Amino acid sequence: MERQLPVHSSFHGSIRSRDSTSTVESDPREKIKDCFRKFIAFMFTQVGVGALVVCYAILGAAGFMHIEKDNPDLQLEDVKNWRLNCAEKLWNITVSVNIFNETVWMHKVNNVLKLFQNNITIAVHTGYSGRTAEDIWSFPAALMYSLSVFTMIGYGNIVPKSVWGKIVTIAYACFGIPIYVLYFCNMGKVLAKTFKWLYITAHECSRRDDPLFEDGEIQPKKKITVPSTACLWVISFYILTGTIMFGAWEKWNYLDSTYFCVISLCKIGFGDFVPGANISDSAGGSHLKLVINFIYVLLGMGLVAMCYNLMCEDVRVKVRELREDLKNCLDDITLKITVCMNDTKYYHQKQSRNLK
Amino acid sequence: MPRRRRPLASRIRGYIRHLLAFLFSNVGIVVLVVAYTIAGAFMFQAIEGASEMERVNLMARERNNTAQYLWQNVTLALNLFNETALKDKISIELHHYQKKIVVAVRRGWDGGRSSRQWSFSSAFLYSLTVITTIGYGHLSPRTNWGKVTTILYTLLGMPLFLLYLSNVGELLARWFKCLYALVCLCRGCPGFTRRRVARFRTQVESSEAESIERPAGWRSGYSDSDATPEYRLPHGVPPYMFRRPKYMRTISMPQPWGPPRYLDRMDPRLRGWSEPWMRNITPETSEFSYVTFDAQTITVPLSVCIFILVGYIMFGSMIFGMWEQWDQLDGAYFCFISLSSIGFGDFVPGERVYTPRIETSFIVCSMYLMLGMALAAMCFNLMQEQVIHYVAGLKRAAVRICRCKR
Repeated sequence: MERQLPVHSSFHGSIRSRDSTSTVESDPREKIKDCFRKFIAFMFTQVGVGALVVCYAILGAAGFMHIEKDNPDLQLEDVKNWRLNCAEKLWNITVSVNIFNETVWMHKVNNVLKLFQNNITIAVHTGYSGRTAEDIWSFPAALMYSLSVFTMIGYGNIVPKSVWGKIVTIAYACFGIPIYVLYFCNMGKVLAKTFKWLYITAHECSRRDDPLFEDGEIQPKKKITVPSTACLWVISFYILTGTIMFGAWEKWNYLDSTYFCVISLCKIGFGDFVPGANISDSAGGSHLKLVINFIYVLLGMGLVAMCYNLMCEDVRVKVRELREDLKNCLDDITLKITVCMNDTKYYHQKQSRNLK
Repeated sequence: MPRRRRPLASRIRGYIRHLLAFLFSNVGIVVLVVAYTIAGAFMFQAIEGASEMERVNLMARERNNTAQYLWQNVTLALNLFNETALKDKISIELHHYQKKIVVAVRRGWDGGRSSRQWSFSSAFLYSLTVITTIGYGHLSPRTNWGKVTTILYTLLGMPLFLLYLSNVGELLARWFKCLYALVCLCRGCPGFTRRRVARFRTQVESSEAESIERPAGWRSGYSDSDATPEYRLPHGVPPYMFRRPKYMRTISMPQPWGPPRYLDRMDPRLRGWSEPWMRNITPETSEFSYVTFDAQTITVPLSVCIFILVGYIMFGSMIFGMWEQWDQLDGAYFCFISLSSIGFGDFVPGERVYTPRIETSFIVCSMYLMLGMALAAMCFNLMQEQVIHYVAGLKRAAVRICRCKR
């Protein structure tokens, strides 16, 4: 509703301005108004919304980077201290215990290591990842983070740690999600229209070639809806592309990479597989991957929206047909029953008349 | 004979249809979602529980290996009395070990404290996060079969949950509107209504006299003969209802003949709400006493919706703050991230504090999420209506302005 309004008004406006240009040749104010109107109309088309989403993501990335990079990481210090403590303890053990008694030494070292391990586990659960804030919040990573916020994927491999980061995330989501929904609807509609046109063209071409359907063209043109299977094929193809691409880059096996694509496109986003976010990896080479993942996810969302649109239409048509069939069937049955009843009635009357 | 039988049959059919519709609309869909989630919980528990033990054992072996390495390569190889060199070496070795732990924990190892990560309640929360597309990721499938099952489970469960959301959201929106009308606007109180009637009486008499004369005829809105575009407003309510103040649905003369025949034709939703004869209003009140309102035509202002959402988030942050010892901001952050289905998974209930209540905390979280998402859907429903209302008003205003200019 909101979206259609400006387009609509601009349509009226252009007509009006055409009228006015025929009467008053060059009114600069009118021209400027028209330009402005056209600009707004453009902003609400798919290109404008796409640009808006990308701009919003870039803005968010810059903002989050700025906020989170300044945040001093206390955990890094903690973990370092634990490690030094552990080394100290190991030294003490080595000094105090008889060196040549291996089992005792082993036992004690094992206990110390277990303590260390538990500490690290807690730290990891509370967000320690072994990297400094500068390493984590590189620009592509921040871009990925803002994408995962407003598309509601939420990978969770990078999370804000500072208070301001959290507050800004909430505000960012509040404004970003409507923009994203706008993008989703718009992209879905445009892609659905394009795909439908393609499908219909292909359909007609194939039918013209087919001699069996020659006489079928005389019939009034039936409204063609794209079948659900076609949508599913498109989505499967897209997932397959993603599978092969990420599989080759990240050296995941095909199951893992299919799993990643489905989990991303369904907006679940567990975050157990994220491209370019391997912890043991250095952050250097992963930037391009993050950007490409960004594009992949954004395009994929548009495709999902398209399929959603088309499938909704298809299902609606199918349900209507089903209902009509059912109605016809019921009508037939009731007709038959009434005829039967009338027959028996007639028969009874006849019999009684005969009896008389 | 057939004449007597058919009404009974049709009545029974009607009852069955109503029952089916009810099951598929509200209660049925809730039960379906819960059952689907429970089934998923059992399934994932069965699939993932087995491989969990292996991982715990693997980590224990890793620790032993590290100790062994320290013994052989560090303690025996280096000069014992060179303290700094030894410490450096140990520190490097520990760093390697630490990296291994970090990777293992990220891959779902739990530190060996709670031996069963895939307990029933956590598997329940997992299934719920899958179908609601929250996806915390605190638990994720490790086995191949787990991944395949998750994909299939998602494809089936997501439409189901969307159905749940739209259905329950609509239902809640309807209830909330009634509640709002009754409590906040006091539209149900008889005294208020009478006063309001008195206020509107003159206006109504003067402006829409012709519409008062056809109260019983508002069925004409249903008939197809005069189905002009204007008449195709929702639920067959004739347009003169819209010109009037919205909450006044029918203003009718006293009807001594009782309920008219079209009662059974009417939308069942309106029944019992806008029928004056269903309330025991005494006939000796003034001729305009039959003012009823339809709660479904009012729009709830945006601020109320936002207030409800914020209140729910605050409530959640209080509960989880108490339960999990998070501070207020973290609790609110968790609730927001969950309810907007982002689900980072940096805060998950039952993740940090290892208490015996962990199972209940998972279940409470699931309940909170299911209710909260329905509530959010309700608020979006209401807000959408309000926004459409605003936009329509804006459009009308814009059209008027444009006309004036010309």
